[in-house]
Amino acid sequence: MTAPRTTLALLLFAPLAFFAAFFLAPMAVVALSSLTTDEGGPTFAHYARILFDQYHWDVLWVTFRIALATTALCLLIGFPLAWYLVRIVRWRSWRRACVILIVVPLFTSNIVRSFGWMVLLGRTGLVNQGLMGMGLTERPIRFLGTETGILIGMVYILMPFVVLSVGNALAKIDTALEDASADLGVGPARTFWFVTLPLCLPGAVSGAIMVFALAVSAYVTPALLSGGQITVFSMLIFQQYSSVFDFHYGGALSVTLLVLTLILVTLAGRIGERGRRAA
Amino acid sequence: MARLSGLVTASALALAAAIAPASAQEALHVAWYGGNWGDAFKACVADPFTKATGVAVVPEVGTSTVTLAKLQQQKDAPTIDVAWMDGGVSELAEAAGVLAPITEKGVPNLKDALPQAVYTNANGTYAVGTGYYSLGLTYNTKEIPQAPTSWNDLWKPEYADAVTIPSPANSSGVPFLFFLHKIWNAPAGDFAPVFAKIKELKPALFFDSSGAASNAFQSSEAIIGAHFNVGAFDLIAKGLPIGFTVPKEGVWATDARLHLVKNAPRPEMAQKFIDTALTPAASQCLAEKLFLGPSVKGVTVSPETAAKLPWGAKGSVENLYLLNWTEVNAKRAELVDTWNREIAR
Repeated sequence: MTAPRTTLALLLFAPLAFFAAFFLAPMAVVALSSLTTDEGGPTFAHYARILFDQYHWDVLWVTFRIALATTALCLLIGFPLAWYLVRIVRWRSWRRACVILIVVPLFTSNIVRSFGWMVLLGRTGLVNQGLMGMGLTERPIRFLGTETGILIGMVYILMPFVVLSVGNALAKIDTALEDASADLGVGPARTFWFVTLPLCLPGAVSGAIMVFALAVSAYVTPALLSGGQITVFSMLIFQQYSSVFDFHYGGALSVTLLVLTLILVTLAGRIGERGRRAA
Repeated sequence: MARLSGLVTASALALAAAIAPASAQEALHVAWYGGNWGDAFKACVADPFTKATGVAVVPEVGTSTVTLAKLQQQKDAPTIDVAWMDGGVSELAEAAGVLAPITEKGVPNLKDALPQAVYTNANGTYAVGTGYYSLGLTYNTKEIPQAPTSWNDLWKPEYADAVTIPSPANSSGVPFLFFLHKIWNAPAGDFAPVFAKIKELKPALFFDSSGAASNAFQSSEAIIGAHFNVGAFDLIAKGLPIGFTVPKEGVWATDARLHLVKNAPRPEMAQKFIDTALTPAASQCLAEKLFLGPSVKGVTVSPETAAKLPWGAKGSVENLYLLNWTEVNAKRAELVDTWNREIAR
């Protein structure tokens, strides 16, 4: 049975209208304001101001550096965790409990979780109390206002995306392939390297892309954990909209970050694609 | 298939209902802030107004900036009648041409407002203050038993890494720079000495939201610094060892102001609402609930509340450093940019 075209069109209309009204339209407003002056004439001045100023490149470098480190750490910690959940846990209820433990923090607001880290990582916070109690450090270590602090908060918040996407890829792998590899006389390490890892690469890449995109655009976590002493790009954007009220320059900053992120994500997608083909 | 089209019709109807104005035409739409501010505005002004007139009040919750953005968006056909916005944003709203003049004819209680709280330009009165709040010296009484007396105490070596002041992302950030510029007698228009001194400060954090400042004082991350009297006394009310003081140089302050929206759909009721906010009862209520310094003449508050007002236990509006916002707004972009390059990296 083929669905009547009108029904299909109607069904498509609602999501398309929603997408246009709540995504495309605001986006167009931002892009338009980034290309106009106060009087409404067209200009590239806002972009020139950003691209020809070393300061903005410095901030971009800090932003991408934190995002890349976040992605790498999420993969490093998330992969074994996913492996544990899919391959090692035999007891179903325990696995379910673990998945809930990983997913539940996503239901809590970023702000609350970042405030939580502010308390934990503070001078007199639990982390420093523990380190000093174990005699690992004499004086409290400074986490807030450093890139390490931001990184800890970001990895915690974004890790579930890697665990879920890698776990999903791992669960789909036909273990007969690994058995075949073993039958052909290949050891477990080489089997992992040449069979299992390439097969879950697409999952890892999609998880990494999600983490990277979210980390580059994150505002709340870096804003709170940087203590205003490290600037990432999203904070520059927020300033323009919240306290300077220069929507043109703010819009240009937003579009710059968006375009650069898209370029990097596309490159990463290419790598994932190559991995899949190789597998 | 019928079920499917039914579903589509239903969702289309739901979408239409969500887009169409949800409430009855009669209700007055008032823009105010979220959290305990909104609660206080409701209890002190909106509820008495509804009781007296029978007209319901629909809150449009948002920060001052968001409210201004809404007013600019609906300039041609506004749905908001009355808007609360802070000093600074108020001037921007007037410049954007979205406000209507407030007159004594429409708002008789305007004559009872403090002269400092009535904001007038060539077009008439564009805003009226409903209460002052200040950014005072806040400290941890356990770590610092003796109340500090000067803003310069923030630079004392014993407070290194435990100080907080606002960042420019906070609405008080840029005004605070103007305040420091004034108390240090820096040369007119030159902020270089101010930035040089802030560079020497050893902060725990530069707070971007009032909540972040409260959190820092609560967790002892910061033991001394700037905080709003509203936020500081909230912490004190929770039993935390926090003190709030007005040092010898005074404090920077601003106010939450009411505005009549140009071409408001319900102008009569809108003026009546502003009139209600300017009654001594409403002003006293806001002082008790938010520790806002009353902007209405002759309002008396309980001794407990008096100690929590923005000007301290014995002060008055004369002790507040109120800014010329037009000057601040003109220098805003430049100061934020310098801060980013000099301090926040």
